[in-house]
Amino acid sequence: MLIGLDVGSRAAKAAYRLEDGYEYRVVSSHSWEDLLRGREGVVISTGYFRKRVPHDFNVTEITTAIYGVRHFIRRRVDVIVDIGGQDMKVIDVERNDFVMNDKCSAGTGAFLEYIASYFALDVAELARLHRSARCAAPINSTCSVFAQSEVVSRLVEGYTKEEVIRGIHYAFARKIARMVPRHARSVALIGGTAKNAGVVEALSEVLGVRVHVPGEPQVVNAVGAVEYYLAREGER
Amino acid sequence: MIGITALVPAEVIYSCGEAALDLNNFVPTSKLEPEDKLCAWTAIWRELVLRGEVSIDRLVVVAGGDCYNALVEGEKIELAGKPTHYFTYPFDGNAGAMKEQLEALADFLGGIRDEAFGEVAELKKLALEVHEMRCSGEVGAEQGFLIEVSGSDLMGSLEKYRSAIEEVEETEVDYEYRVALLGIPPIYPDFHAFLQELGMHVVFDEMPFEFIRHTGKSLGEVAGSYAGYTFAGHISRRLRFLESQLKRHRVDAVIHFQQFACHHKLEDRLLRDFLHEKLGYPYITIEADLPSPTPQQARLRLEAFAERLGEVV
Repeated sequence: MLIGLDVGSRAAKAAYRLEDGYEYRVVSSHSWEDLLRGREGVVISTGYFRKRVPHDFNVTEITTAIYGVRHFIRRRVDVIVDIGGQDMKVIDVERNDFVMNDKCSAGTGAFLEYIASYFALDVAELARLHRSARCAAPINSTCSVFAQSEVVSRLVEGYTKEEVIRGIHYAFARKIARMVPRHARSVALIGGTAKNAGVVEALSEVLGVRVHVPGEPQVVNAVGAVEYYLAREGER
Repeated sequence: MIGITALVPAEVIYSCGEAALDLNNFVPTSKLEPEDKLCAWTAIWRELVLRGEVSIDRLVVVAGGDCYNALVEGEKIELAGKPTHYFTYPFDGNAGAMKEQLEALADFLGGIRDEAFGEVAELKKLALEVHEMRCSGEVGAEQGFLIEVSGSDLMGSLEKYRSAIEEVEETEVDYEYRVALLGIPPIYPDFHAFLQELGMHVVFDEMPFEFIRHTGKSLGEVAGSYAGYTFAGHISRRLRFLESQLKRHRVDAVIHFQQFACHHKLEDRLLRDFLHEKLGYPYITIEADLPSPTPQQARLRLEAFAERLGEVV
């Protein structure tokens, strides 16, 4: 069996290649060993911990994102945005280039978790509140520290929790959009945060392009690791 | 011993009977956590001097045309009692203005006594030969970098520098890609070795190459040469220089190394637009703060960069 193992900063994901497709599993990154228990096969690892876990081959998540998106989205995309737990990568597929935001939590899953925890919410609830907001509160900052003071200011001014969360999603989208190359006509969004429909809606609107989200956005890199391996084996 | 904080013509320092010590060379392996910090390079050498951990008699600060944080750190050292001179590169590359700067530097150092111009020029010629061997894959990037970056102070002793050059070992470098490292030298001491592990052979280190490129057999010749120090002048001159050097060194890709809180960071967009967008070189920017082994985030990015090169080069 081929096993794509993506161990990132927050979550560990595995894609097991079966005869008729893939089976997936996601656990906390500290429990990555659970993903290999009782499974035998060739392990292709990726993610920050790709060299710290047992593997037969390893490859970076920039390359796996390209192969994974090709597998899930059977159409051409110019740019892939991968929102991870602690970083964000923008991969220009057309020009074979990429940029990363790894210096602070702005534009990463950690930022939205921080905002969710401020409202005593689970991060999975943010999209629901986004939908029920009538407008987006104006939020300019995506720095976790400054954003919180803006959140408090907007609440004091009378905006609802839902409107502030919607505003946060737009601020988050603008932060990402600044890193997306201007030539992008089609964008794929991957990583766990892509499950947040509020972020997807905000990013589509800010970029003015359709944002494609694979059916399983969190496991794209795990699948991409296997697909990369298969492509390389095919070349040999 | 004369402490220097960036490229100060060592030809003049040795010709005044003094020896140069580039304070930056102590930074990448330093464990010091400086207070009152913008750029880690300048803050750490300032602290090392103020705490007496690096011993110098006088200080020459490059105060114009390169690093403005250094100017203020130099003032702190001067106010603490160390004789300090402020050296400025002419922005327009005027050789006459450069010569005036060299004369002022010589005056600060007590005047030219024992001309070392010829010997330094000969040593730099030898260093350039090492550079050529590095380009042809006969010298590893780590060893080549050490010789070139030491061209700023000549290791504090002309004899020591000569020995270091003579001890360079010829090897056969195994690599896939020829890479240029632009901007300030990396504050990560293992950076060249790490790139080598990824199959990226650094054949051109922008600033260290400048350290060995400029010299002359007289004060006038030295002035004319250093007036062409492109890192200190208008960006257009630097871009033209880089274009010709990247071509000459048959470079496959460019790494721009930059430092947190350094004004040179603002040049990244100009370099990227010219070298990547216009000339088509694959390009990556790495930003560092404190000295350490190359961090995991930077390793990931460089590894991915090497993987992507495999698809385009």
